[in-house]
Amino acid sequence: MSVITISRQMCSFGDEIATALSQKLGWELITRDALLADFLPEIATRNELHMLTESAKFYLKESENNGTFLEYIDRTLHDLAQEQSVILAGFGSQVIFANDKDALHIRIIAPKKNRVARLKKQYNVSDIEAEQILKKADRKQTRFVFTIFGVDLTEPSYYNLLLNTAALSVDECVASITALLKERELLLQMEKQTEDTNVISNLSDMPVLKNQAEIEFAKILDMYQIDWKYEPKIFPIEWDPEGNITSAFSPDFYLTKFDTYIELTTMNQKYVTEKNKKVKKLRELYPGINVKVVYKKDYHSLIERFNVNKGE
Amino acid sequence: MDLNYKRVAFTEEILKNRISELGAEISRDYAGKDLVLVSVLKGTLYFFADLTRAIDLPIRLDFISIGVYPNATNRTGAVRITKDLDIDISGKHVLVIEDIIRTGLTTGYLVQNLESRMPSSVKVCSLLVNPEQQLINVPIAYYGFRVPNAWLIGYGMDVNEKWRNVPYIVEVDKADL
Repeated sequence: MSVITISRQMCSFGDEIATALSQKLGWELITRDALLADFLPEIATRNELHMLTESAKFYLKESENNGTFLEYIDRTLHDLAQEQSVILAGFGSQVIFANDKDALHIRIIAPKKNRVARLKKQYNVSDIEAEQILKKADRKQTRFVFTIFGVDLTEPSYYNLLLNTAALSVDECVASITALLKERELLLQMEKQTEDTNVISNLSDMPVLKNQAEIEFAKILDMYQIDWKYEPKIFPIEWDPEGNITSAFSPDFYLTKFDTYIELTTMNQKYVTEKNKKVKKLRELYPGINVKVVYKKDYHSLIERFNVNKGE
Repeated sequence: MDLNYKRVAFTEEILKNRISELGAEISRDYAGKDLVLVSVLKGTLYFFADLTRAIDLPIRLDFISIGVYPNATNRTGAVRITKDLDIDISGKHVLVIEDIIRTGLTTGYLVQNLESRMPSSVKVCSLLVNPEQQLINVPIAYYGFRVPNAWLIGYGMDVNEKWRNVPYIVEVDKADL
């Protein structure tokens, strides 16, 4: 399951973006208020809840049988994120999930003049009052995270994406985050395959297709807007007694979204037999890998079908 | 009808029984969920009509159609949606209904497109699948029958837009078309 954390300045539209994102993705949104109302009452007394509302230091206090309140929150949120995808807004969630590579960390900011204007409109206060309110809110927020985690929440390296809402609408921000989320899911899918094997990454920005068959096949994939990578991995399939790789196989195409490797075999039967052996070995050694072989006959029927400008 | 065919591949009764089973499976799996069934026009015409009536849930129905447009820089053209959904599928479960999945390229394109609209899930139900031809690992959750490489028409499937209205599925010789 996935996690998005959202750190936001007051009047940066961060709350609106978190809510809209939650609605768009159908993921639960958990804020500091929700933590206090729905999670912490499990272990905190009424007095302790009051203290947690008032004092950041209280999160570091031992609760009865559960370690500190912070440890309880950390554990509970990680457990929750195992079961479902969530959006976490505030309370230093970007630090809690800092080492979680499935998590996406977003920071929403806006220039002071925009935030002042928004606050004035919302609360009907003067410029000076608005500036003071924002200054105090920023200070409290920074101090809260520093007290609990010992880090500066304004440090950009805690975030994957920083959005300035001076000239971006809530919808545009939500669209940016969802686009990033989609790309990230594809990347993680590729990385997971590499983790437990000695597969060699072979990605390059500008693939050089080797023959006309590959060029035509790439065109068909493009026609269907199916994302592909050319020979992105080299799978070792034979080793000598000293463990040196003596034979490897690199399927022609990887369809990122569909987690499928495709090997084209449009040459002589002699080579096809050799290639079939390699594919068989690849499937034996890497059982999680999904490889499809397109034979000469299938390839020509594909080309024939698509050249007449018809769909399937 | 003046149709030369090799054999009847699936009779009306066989289709009806299998579709009834599929409807029951879908009703069980999606109970309590907000489900949208998407018919891929036009081949699913009769399958969609029969399947949706075999589902005992308050489902929503919508239609989508795709076509290939010529592209000046690529002689294979480009696939585009020619009739889009009317329903907003974000946060809803979507079941794409296909007549037959061969390479899976069309279905792959659709699944990719629908997933970008942030639904809760996108799965596929196809009356027929041909695993031998399948290139794309599309999420086929339900299928009626596996079929080999063959020319099949009827029950919505056509040749040059003809014979969709044959009430069963027949296998024909390419030479007879």
